[in-house]
Amino acid sequence: MEHFNLLVFLAVTLAAAWQTATPIIYAAVGEIFTERAGVLNIGIEGTMLIGAFVGFATTDLTGSLALGFTAAIAAGMLTGLLFACFTVTIKANQVVVGVALNLLGLGLTSFLFRTYFVHTGSGVPNMPAVHIPILSGLPFFGVALFQQNIIVYLSLAVAFLARFVLFSTSFGLTLRATGDHPEAVAITGRSVVLYRYGAIMIGSSLAALGGAFLTLADVNQFVEGMTDGRGFIALAVVVFSRWSPVGAFFVSLIFGLFYALQLELQAQPSLGIPYQALQAMPYILTILALVFVHNKQDAPRTLGVPYNKA
Amino acid sequence: MDDIDIRPPAPAKLYLYDISTSIRIRSLQRLRAIGFPIAAVLVALCAGAALLAINGFNALDVFTVMIGGVFRNIHSITEMLLIATPLILIGVGLCVAFRCSMWNIGAEGQYYAGAVAATFFGVHLNGLPAPLHIVLILAAGSIAGAAWAAIAGLLKIYFNASEIVTTIMLNYIATIATSYLVTGPMMEAGVTYPQSTELPHALRLPILLPHTRLHIGILIAIALAVIVQAFLFRSSAGYALRVVGINPHAARYAGISVRRSVVLAISISGALAGLAGAIQIAGVDFRLYQNISPGYGFTGIAVALLAYNRPIGAIFSGILFAVLSAGSVLMQMNSQVPQVLVFVIEGMVILSVVAFGALGMRAGRSAV
Amino acid sequence: MIVNRRQILAAGGALATATLIGRAHAAAEFKMGLLVTGSVAENGWNRLAYDALMTVKKKLGAKVSYVELQQDPASFESAFRDYASQGYQVILGNGFEFQDAAVTVAKDYPDSYFLISSSSIHQGKVIGINLDSSQPFYLMGVIAAKMGKSAGLIGGMQIPPISQAFGGFRNGALTTKPGFGIGRVYIGSFENEVAAKEAAISMIKQGVDFIVPDADAASLGVYLAVHEAGPQIKTFSVYTDYSKVAGKNILGTYIADYGAGIVRVVTGIKNGTSIPHSNVTFGLGDPDVIRFTYNDNAATPVPQDVRKYVDEVKSKIIAGQIKTMAG
Repeated sequence: MEHFNLLVFLAVTLAAAWQTATPIIYAAVGEIFTERAGVLNIGIEGTMLIGAFVGFATTDLTGSLALGFTAAIAAGMLTGLLFACFTVTIKANQVVVGVALNLLGLGLTSFLFRTYFVHTGSGVPNMPAVHIPILSGLPFFGVALFQQNIIVYLSLAVAFLARFVLFSTSFGLTLRATGDHPEAVAITGRSVVLYRYGAIMIGSSLAALGGAFLTLADVNQFVEGMTDGRGFIALAVVVFSRWSPVGAFFVSLIFGLFYALQLELQAQPSLGIPYQALQAMPYILTILALVFVHNKQDAPRTLGVPYNKA
Repeated sequence: MDDIDIRPPAPAKLYLYDISTSIRIRSLQRLRAIGFPIAAVLVALCAGAALLAINGFNALDVFTVMIGGVFRNIHSITEMLLIATPLILIGVGLCVAFRCSMWNIGAEGQYYAGAVAATFFGVHLNGLPAPLHIVLILAAGSIAGAAWAAIAGLLKIYFNASEIVTTIMLNYIATIATSYLVTGPMMEAGVTYPQSTELPHALRLPILLPHTRLHIGILIAIALAVIVQAFLFRSSAGYALRVVGINPHAARYAGISVRRSVVLAISISGALAGLAGAIQIAGVDFRLYQNISPGYGFTGIAVALLAYNRPIGAIFSGILFAVLSAGSVLMQMNSQVPQVLVFVIEGMVILSVVAFGALGMRAGRSAV
Repeated sequence: MIVNRRQILAAGGALATATLIGRAHAAAEFKMGLLVTGSVAENGWNRLAYDALMTVKKKLGAKVSYVELQQDPASFESAFRDYASQGYQVILGNGFEFQDAAVTVAKDYPDSYFLISSSSIHQGKVIGINLDSSQPFYLMGVIAAKMGKSAGLIGGMQIPPISQAFGGFRNGALTTKPGFGIGRVYIGSFENEVAAKEAAISMIKQGVDFIVPDADAASLGVYLAVHEAGPQIKTFSVYTDYSKVAGKNILGTYIADYGAGIVRVVTGIKNGTSIPHSNVTFGLGDPDVIRFTYNDNAATPVPQDVRKYVDEVKSKIIAGQIKTMAG
């Protein structure tokens, strides 16, 4: 550890933070679409697992990363469709359906994994890092910020794209109105139901993409329950970011930072902090985040409330 | 602050759709109470069977092995009831929280909190007469579970922090803390495996059937289900928290303290989950390990929902999920179907329960 | 793959009937059951036991079955009972956590042998079976101290097989070069490859050039990190051959052929020829079970003089002159 140096430490931590934050960014940005339309989907943890598994299985079968990601997104959309069917059409309680989705996601992926991958256990090809010319050669931070893989870079683009769609297009305007004043949307002749279906499916496919990042672009293997609470952390990120996609990007980075930090601190044997205390940090941070940002006014007004035609 | 005294319960039961007491609604309700859960389970089992069939297993054989195995003799039935005990306790508690619209997803963590407290008082306290000591252990577990849950309740009322997220985070923190305790301060001396010291023999819960592990916990669970049912539907506090669950604004107008009801509801559910953890320590495990729950806290959610949040119903749904869980081990042993299939069935049960519930609600409303 | 599973299914169907009829019928054939917590589909600890079970099936023609339990000690006892009551002669509980339950159940089923991995128990027919990983890890420690600047160990959880292995590494390294820097991280999971990878990356950036994981399925994350960091970072492949992932970085491979060891023990039990009189520990003296080999395709293979020194250490360990776990 004698080569320890603050700048290196910072650069490394930042790189790890972005990498760790990436799946959370996708899930959180997706959930912002869903919640902005007035639907609370706590099933994104299960959706991420489904994305992770489908992406892994498809790539394992076909050898193609592109197909893997495509299949994961499709699986996410299907999961979203199921969620929307129950919550928008049948108007079942959104929290309960979300809980069921999490159980289904964990159960189905573990069941299929154990049934079909008992005899293989092999990995899939991993997404290569893309070195951005010139910038990647910068001292210290070059490696950290400009030698990631494409899905990591895309997370920034997705956040800004989401902001553009939500706040600068008529689709986004209507989508947000669906969450705040569904009656008004209905009066203008647009379908609240359709917009909510759309928002849920966008949200779920982004969550699934975040899950697929884990198996296809981070570690090249599926592991049961590998999302490890990231979907739930994304839920907190959404609140903390005040339902803003770009905000969610940076809040996710903070979470990633703490996550990376706890591993780095553990590697310093001289500190003598029990490793569990460090492990608990991201979860404690999530609770603190909710405490410090106890804002009701930014939340979509009809969040969690099924829409009934008058 | 809306801290005005709670009024005595109104004579009629309060559902949105049964304020009128027409016979038609009564019979609809009866259908809902018994017919829906049965239908929901059947739908879920069919889905499970379909999943098995798609993946090349013989579903009928699998289910035969499962059910036949669980009921093959007294011993296997008692083992099933051992699983039912925590499920019923947690499910009953969650009925209270869910009735108040507190989405406590944290029963798992509250179960751990109860188990930790029970172990602590069981191992570190000496000189008490055994029966008193056992009562103290169980009380400690309940209080710890209630306190752990109350954190989420308080954060909800003071900071408007979603209890869904906070209880889930508290789950992670509880399991990590348990891991720390059994690898550190509570670790058994002279042993390298992370586990706590064993509880003295005298502190084990009395056995119901000789030569089995079945202890009195199942009786405690059933008794509490009855008591909590009475609390919810016959006491003013129970009435208050149901009103808060249905419509907090109306509750406020009726002079009910929403804040008090919210914290009370989640604390009761936490207490029962904590008690489940304590009973598991004093009745089955006898010491604390890093992992002491196969997800009881999450299955408990399905238990409560399948019972449509009726504590007495949770006795039956708890047993049902215990049969599935005990049977799943035999299922893998003899048919090599991965045991995790149970999670899929649990998820399917919840989905069909809410679907039937939502559809039934509509039927009820159109009847009025 | 599917055909394989159907074969198991067919066997399962037969067993199912046997369950319902009772145990009398099934006593004739030799049956072995395996209990694990978690999944056998992942590389690592459970896979070792699963492979061992399959080796027993192949070599001894035994009927085999396994159950992937949740991590819940309360369920172990009934699972043992379920196997024993169906007339399984040998049941392997893959981990120390199965020990207490086996002792309890063994009293009621005197005909079955209960083998417990990572345990040093010997009580009637409950027999502990240990892979002494501290021995190969001691050798790794020696090599790291001879060739490297500092080392990092990444463990799944703080459980005996892992802390003993790490203890061996530490003893080996510090005996060779006192004051050699060794960092250690427990990621708190056997599944979280992401955490394992991040832990490895942060160690590498802090100047560590030898990184050794012992984290079951999560270990893969370490090999990925090491591979991505380049050939100057060195590691050892533990339990399974990971040379496809990080062939340039792996200096040596510690393969544990648990199957060979288990087959040896189970054969003895089956034929009644050699029933263990104590708990069983496999070490470097059992080359059919524990193998440590060099990887000549590494970017910097272990030099001959170091190999010679390691050989000396190895024979001292086998002779019992070096206690790898001491301290």
